[in-house]
Parts: sequence; C-alpha cells; structure tokens
Amino acid sequence: MSSLDAAQPARVLVTRRLAFLAAVVAIALLPLVFTDTYWRTNLIVCAINVMLAIGLDFVLGYAGQLNLGQSAFYGLGAYASTLLIMRLGVPFWIAFAAAVAFAGAAGIVLSLFAMRLRGHYLAVASLGFAVITYQVLLNWISLTQGPLGIYAIPPPPALALPGLPAIGFRNLANLFYLVAGCALLSYALLDQLIRSPIGEALTAIREDEVSAAALGINGAAWKVFAFGVGSAVAGAAGCFYAAFVGTLVPDAFFITESFTILAMVVVGGMGTLIGPVWGAILLTLLPEVLRGIGDLRLVVYGAALTLVVLFMPGGIAQAARLVLARLRPERQPELLR
Amino acid sequence: MSAVLAADQPAPAASLLLRAEGLSKNFGGVRAVRDISLSVPAGAIFAVIGPNGAGKSTLLNLLSGIFRPDAGTVTFGGVDLTPLPAHRRARHGIARTFQKIRLFRHLTALDNVVAGFHIHCRIPAWQYVVHGAAFRKNHARCREEAARLLAFMGLERRLHVEAGALSYGERRMLEIARALATAPRLLMVDEPAAGLNAAEVEALLERLQMLRRQGLTILIVEHNMDLVMTVADRVLVIDYGQHLFEGPPAAVQAHPGVIAAYLGGAAQ
Repeated sequence: MSSLDAAQPARVLVTRRLAFLAAVVAIALLPLVFTDTYWRTNLIVCAINVMLAIGLDFVLGYAGQLNLGQSAFYGLGAYASTLLIMRLGVPFWIAFAAAVAFAGAAGIVLSLFAMRLRGHYLAVASLGFAVITYQVLLNWISLTQGPLGIYAIPPPPALALPGLPAIGFRNLANLFYLVAGCALLSYALLDQLIRSPIGEALTAIREDEVSAAALGINGAAWKVFAFGVGSAVAGAAGCFYAAFVGTLVPDAFFITESFTILAMVVVGGMGTLIGPVWGAILLTLLPEVLRGIGDLRLVVYGAALTLVVLFMPGGIAQAARLVLARLRPERQPELLR
Repeated sequence: MSAVLAADQPAPAASLLLRAEGLSKNFGGVRAVRDISLSVPAGAIFAVIGPNGAGKSTLLNLLSGIFRPDAGTVTFGGVDLTPLPAHRRARHGIARTFQKIRLFRHLTALDNVVAGFHIHCRIPAWQYVVHGAAFRKNHARCREEAARLLAFMGLERRLHVEAGALSYGERRMLEIARALATAPRLLMVDEPAAGLNAAEVEALLERLQMLRRQGLTILIVEHNMDLVMTVADRVLVIDYGQHLFEGPPAAVQAHPGVIAAYLGGAAQ
C-alpha cells in the first residue's frame, strides 16, 4: 500500500489548493500591476484564449479527437449571445447561458462525425464545419449583417451587490476579473472532470478505442460528451469576446483562429490542462511583445512555434517537468519509479 | 481476488455460459469464419486452436463484439448478445485480451487496470464535478483492487511504470490484469503465450488455472498445441475459417484431420 498512494492524495490536494489560491491572487493583482488600457486589453484577450485552449484540450488532449472546429464554436457563442441581446432584448446572463448551450449543441452535432471519423479524417471534417460556419456568418446578412458587422454591443450589465457600489464592466479591470474568473471556473470544472472516472474513460478512448470498448467504455457517448463540454467552453469565450470588443465581424472566427487555438494547446502541452493555459498566454502576448521589431515579429513568432514543436513536443508542460526534476533531484526516483 | 470475481458466479459445471451458432464473417472475398458453432461450459477452460490465419482471432472478435457477424448468433448466460456492440458485451461479463497487445501505452500499469473498473463505478453524477466522500471512496477502492490484481499477475513492483516501458511478457500480464478488472464471467485470451519465455508461460498457465478454480470461465485462443493440451478441458480446432474438430485434448491429438492441418495436408 505504501507504494500505492496512501499519503499522496492529501499532498496532491494541498498542492492543488495552493495552486488555485495562487491563481486567484495572480488574477486579483494583474490589473493593479498593468493599469494602462493596452495591457488590460491584452489580459482580457489572454483570459478568453485560455478558455478556448482548455476547451479544445479537453477534446484533443484527453479524448484524442483532432478537432479543428473550435473557431466555429467560438463564433457561434459570440453571435448567439449578441443576437439574443441586440435583437430580442434578452438579458445578458440568460443570453450567455443560451449561447453556451447552443455552442455545446453544435459541438454535439460535430461529434456525430467524430463517431465515424478518426484522426486526419475528423480534422478535415471539423475544418469543413468551421468553414461552413464562417460562410454562414458571412453570408446570412439578414441575420448577422455579414461583413458589415454588428456594432455597439453593450458590455455585461453592472453587477449590483447589496450594500456595495455597483461593479460596472466598462471598467477593463472589472471585466478582466469577470472573464478571468470564468476562465478559472472552467479550468476547475474541466480539472475535476479529468481527475474523475470520466477522465479515465476519455484517456482510454484516446489511447486505444478498441480496448476501451472491450472494457465496457462507450466511446461514442464519451466523444459526444467531450465535444459538448469543449465547445460549450468555447461558446462562453465567444460571449465574453463580443461583450468585450463591442463589435462583431465574421473574420474574427475565420478558420485560422482554429489553428491559433491548436497552436496554443500544442505549445502548452496537450493532455495536460495547465499547459494550454501557459500556451494561450504565451501565444497571446508574444506577438504583442514583439511589436517593437515590426513585421519581423511574424517571422520570429513562426520560428518560435516551429522550434517548440521540433525540440519540445510535449510543450511547456513537458519542459516544466524536466526543469522541476532537475531542480529537485531528490524527488526524481519517485517520478521514475 | 474473491472480491473481484463475484462469489455468486460459479454455475453447475454442466451449464453453458457461452454459445455461438453458425457464426460467419467475410472480409471482401475472404471468408475468414464460416459457419462456426461452439458451446463453452461454465467454469471450463475452452481452447480454440488452428494454424496461423485459420480465423481464430476473427472468431474472438465476433464473440467479443469488435466485429459484427454476417450470420449467426452469440448467446451468453442465456442472453442474446448478437446485436450488442463490444462495450455492451463487456458489461454482460465478457472480457478479453488482444493478440497484438493493445494497452493504454502512455498510462501507468496501475492506471491501465483502473480504467478496467469503469463499468463498476457507482457514484452520484454530481460527484464527478464536486469530488465528495463517495468519489474518494471509489477512487481508493479502484486503486487498491487494481494493485491487488497487478500483484496477482506478478506486477506488484511495476505499478507506476508506463505500460509502453514494460517488457513484452509484463505487457501480456498487464493486459490480463486489466481484463480482470471488469470482473468478467468469461475471460477470452488471444494467444497469451506468444512471445513469452518458458518461465513466463509456466507462470501464465498457473494463473489461468488459479482463475478457473475461482470460478472464472476461460476461452483461450492459441496456435501452440502443447500449451493448450496442458490446460484445456475442451478444444475446438478450426482451419480455413471452418470447424474441423471439437473434443477433449487427448482426442484432438489423435485426430488425423488436425494432424494434417498442422503438418501440411492429408495427402502427404
């Protein structure tokens, strides 16, 4: 038993709670450190991208389904909530819930393809889904106003807690708290699912679907579940995007967005949940940091991506593990056991 | 082990656990399995043998539901399983291993076996999100029982090793441990001795016999006749996808058709 994990869960639980607390503190402090509009804007974009990346990682890194449709779910969430708010006057949070459900349902529709297709074939089918969604957003002008876009989308309504001054979301710091809080909540939700028997089932499907079936695991049902959850999280990110930017054009959800999100997951390290968080932050901020070198930044950005995939296929998560093992050699035997 | 293999399973020796009738499967023009019937008594070790390419693995895939038969039926414990896919059949108590080992290569030995407990997980749905007492109890129980199964298969020192890093023989044992985690009534092993050394084969046979004594029914697919003769109660011989002979091991060795199939044709 001593080799099993009699004492370990308690220690792991403490570590996880400390990490969660650290994330809360970091979120609380960031807007206080970065007080200008430019950096606060970047922070919010980071939080949105974190949601997109962890949502994709749930489908790609855990269930092993190569999904290139994440930009579509992102866009469907953004347009669904915005149209409900602007056309039908639905309150923001109800529109938010509806858009999350709508994006999740779209994910379930795509998962019906995932039941029949694998690997590259699913990648092509999901890419097709993203192309179709983009074309619909672009060409259904009576509904979406197509390339003209939707303007003057209001931010989320101010939060009025009894006994406190109202918290308005025109203030970028408050908006960051809202989006980052939701990102943290999504992370916690996915993390709990992954550490439960659901995570074990998804991983089994990723590793070998036939033997998973031989163990009684219903591959089709769990793929539907994974797609539903992953795209619902992307839908939530889309709602915040629309409310944050205030304008909506289909180009924001072009298929290249799917590849950007994929790059965040791969650079961060798929199959770990924390990796894509760092991947999303890095790939959001890197182009901004490199702005000083003008158009050369895209070359540096591309080169950095290539180098990571070439020399660090496990991404940031793998690199962190290697560094930790070197810093704490006394724990190495345990890791290698 | 007794906790893993439910105590109420052993049926009277004479009763049938698995029955297949008229199973056929074609792949394009290849008739891999042609009209094969078999009856596996509860509590027996039932062997299916035949030369390479005889259709043994295809037959196993038809029984476990990986393939749908073109014709024929599969009945298990009185229930018609023919229309059910593999994952539903596993829930009825059929577990299997694969000729070409199919482990979850990037998971540890322990996590491979824990995945086998999936169908026995009984916790309230909300505890998947908010892990409570029932979740923790289930988590601990699965890991303890997985460790016990691994110890039974001789892998107690390899719990935290990735399956891909295990030796070939260890992988075969791990695959059996993982199959046992589903608490099956029937364990089907596809060429479990392939690639094992003599000592490992010995250990494998010992464990299969131990499992049988605990009431587990075992269907073993092999092309190594010597191995089958020492453990099997009943042997089905197939060749070119067809039923050749079925009977006790001693009768199989004496059967001219079987000898011909193995040594290359009756004409010689």
